[in-house]
Amino acid sequence: MKNQPQQQQKKEAKTVELKKIMPETTQKEIDTLNPTLKAASEQIIAQTLERLKKINPNRPKEMEYFDEMANLFGKRVEELKQAQAEGKKIIGYNCIFAPLELILAADAIPVRINSGWYDTSKLGDRVVPVEVCSIIRSTIGAKMVELSPFLELSDVLITVLTCDGMTKLSEILGEYKQVWGLSNPRIKDSEQALKFWNEEIKQIKTNLEKLTGNKITVKNLKPAILKTQKATKAFRRLQNLRKDDTVISGQDALLVTQTYMWDDIDRWTEKTNVLCDELDRRVQAKEWICPSDTPRVMITGTPMFWPDNWKLPSLIEEGNPRGILVADELCSSERLLYDPVGIDEWTMNDMLNAIGERYLMACTCPCFTSKDGNEDRINWLLTKIKDHKIQGVIYYVTRGCMLYAMEYTTVKRALDKINIPVYYLDTDYTREDTGQLKTRVEAFLEMLNAQIDI
Amino acid sequence: MTLQTDNAFWRWQEYHRVMPDKSWTSTDVITAGVDVGSVGSKAAVLVNGEIYSWGITRTGSNSPDSAVKALNWALKDTGLKQSDCKYIVGTGYGRVNIPFANKALTEIACHAKGANYIWGSQVHTVLDVGGQDIKAIRCDDTGRVTSFLMNDKCAAGTGRGMEVFADLLQIPIEEIGEMSLKVDEEPPSVSCTCVAFAKTEAVGLLRKGWSKEKVLAAYTKAMAVRMSNLIKRVGLEPDLVITGGQSKNIGIVSRVEAALGVKCLAMPNWRENGLDPMIAGALGAGILQKPSMINPKTLEATT
Repeated sequence: MKNQPQQQQKKEAKTVELKKIMPETTQKEIDTLNPTLKAASEQIIAQTLERLKKINPNRPKEMEYFDEMANLFGKRVEELKQAQAEGKKIIGYNCIFAPLELILAADAIPVRINSGWYDTSKLGDRVVPVEVCSIIRSTIGAKMVELSPFLELSDVLITVLTCDGMTKLSEILGEYKQVWGLSNPRIKDSEQALKFWNEEIKQIKTNLEKLTGNKITVKNLKPAILKTQKATKAFRRLQNLRKDDTVISGQDALLVTQTYMWDDIDRWTEKTNVLCDELDRRVQAKEWICPSDTPRVMITGTPMFWPDNWKLPSLIEEGNPRGILVADELCSSERLLYDPVGIDEWTMNDMLNAIGERYLMACTCPCFTSKDGNEDRINWLLTKIKDHKIQGVIYYVTRGCMLYAMEYTTVKRALDKINIPVYYLDTDYTREDTGQLKTRVEAFLEMLNAQIDI
Repeated sequence: MTLQTDNAFWRWQEYHRVMPDKSWTSTDVITAGVDVGSVGSKAAVLVNGEIYSWGITRTGSNSPDSAVKALNWALKDTGLKQSDCKYIVGTGYGRVNIPFANKALTEIACHAKGANYIWGSQVHTVLDVGGQDIKAIRCDDTGRVTSFLMNDKCAAGTGRGMEVFADLLQIPIEEIGEMSLKVDEEPPSVSCTCVAFAKTEAVGLLRKGWSKEKVLAAYTKAMAVRMSNLIKRVGLEPDLVITGGQSKNIGIVSRVEAALGVKCLAMPNWRENGLDPMIAGALGAGILQKPSMINPKTLEATT
């Protein structure tokens, strides 16, 4: 009985011969497709930003910074290249379980690598069947044509094995990049789960130290935690501004939180605070961006990624009638930053435990279950609904996203109890269904309008 | 059996009607609703909020033209012109392309309101079978939508799918319902709901010696199962009504009733003087311009 654990050695990072390009693409194809897709994407980014300015002529001035950051092929890429040339390591991650504080403490740079490109999901079809969730297919496609600068620049990928898609994506990407699989327990509130998870976190710490040559100590971990705590504070400040009459559109707020996934965290925090200062002044001046009876909507479900997968927020806020997106429960937006790492004592042990807890216990991902289902998610939603005075929820699912699709029934039941209408909207990485989605979203907003009218 | 490609069988009756016992004077408020669907375009003209005339026509390749055609068709023999309509609401799949509309609303809100007008306040669930999609709508006593579901963009289980079958089997579309009931025993439903595959399956069944009636029964049943599942998902609250073209298909209606174990409210006798369930959307659009249901602020913003 005793001998097993002792004998288990820490896994040495296997040195695998990494492939250069995917067999499903040729260098020639990359050379033609990459510039085409990049140009198309730059155009879409520019068009979306243009539209955001047009629909809201009095858009906060401080959004300018985030507009610049929104260019996935722009300034930030140059900065990352520069940092890499100076010897810094770039750590790509596919999921919000990746412990950013450890990455930062090791003086490495975290960037999220999930793809929001519609076009590349069609390329991904060559590798995996169309039934697989669009995010996975699109990320594979982006790798095939080397479209994502963040993915390409990553020295290592932290791939979290949350859903089936992410687990197998880890293997596929593992043929081209070194990956560190991070396995999360599916039941979180047990002692053994937390123990297992803390070991996983420690393994990432060891790996990071080996890769960067920087030992993670109290000295560098504390400032890293303080850094993300400040970011969370700025983020919460922005969210508080969305609880009553609104001074910022949901799309702008979403853009701010999405840029956190690749921006420099200190600078992001500073710019978010500057934006909040401007918004505070607007609250004082009562410069609302929409009439107070505009239906207040929340999105929950499959994560959405910039730049292409932006259709739902845009349909909500630019349709007829108009709604206002005042909150979301997406791991690509509000769940990124909602919870700070809570520290009692600044000892190494405490800090590591606090990091482990922050990433595991606070997470509302549907990959979790318990005897009460994924009750953390339900509670999170109920709190948001109350705080942000939500009138209707759109439950968004990309096809193939099994966990979110299956959890709908439970969420619906909980929201029915408090009489909050919820609409299940399933779609894919495609522009073809925009007309159909428009009818659904507008009908939902009309329904909310009719309720407000009572 | 040879299958010809004569494609006139899908043609359903395009017609217009002026309510015989009603009239208008210059002091009356004339309004209209226009519902440009993917297959049919419908227009309803109202005098002081009461239905006065309507027209049903096939949607052409161009939404604005179809909207004009439908409205002119509804105005025919009334002495009214388009310019007499104080306010026009557009709805349906082509709602954003209606040139003369003062406002656009989704067909979900309009069908619920229209069904409420046609059948009364006891209507709480509406199944609208349109040309390219089906919608299950729940509403309150006033015809206000409380929840809804739509199928995916797909002709399976829609009016367009039925047209394809009418052509394939060379049976006028208006006779399909009756014919599908002329079977001794209900056959198992076709396994494919996708129209393209269901068509292939049907050809196979015909070659195997199935009668047209039996094939129709199998396909109609598959459609009805799809529809009743959508209703079950949205939650059935009596009374149930069916709007859209397929409400006239007795084969569909009776099978949906059987699958759900409830009776739909009887269809108005549209051939005589009753209101046609096909115009529910246009009629609802015509009624919904009264700002009582919709938010007045939204109304201002969009007009």
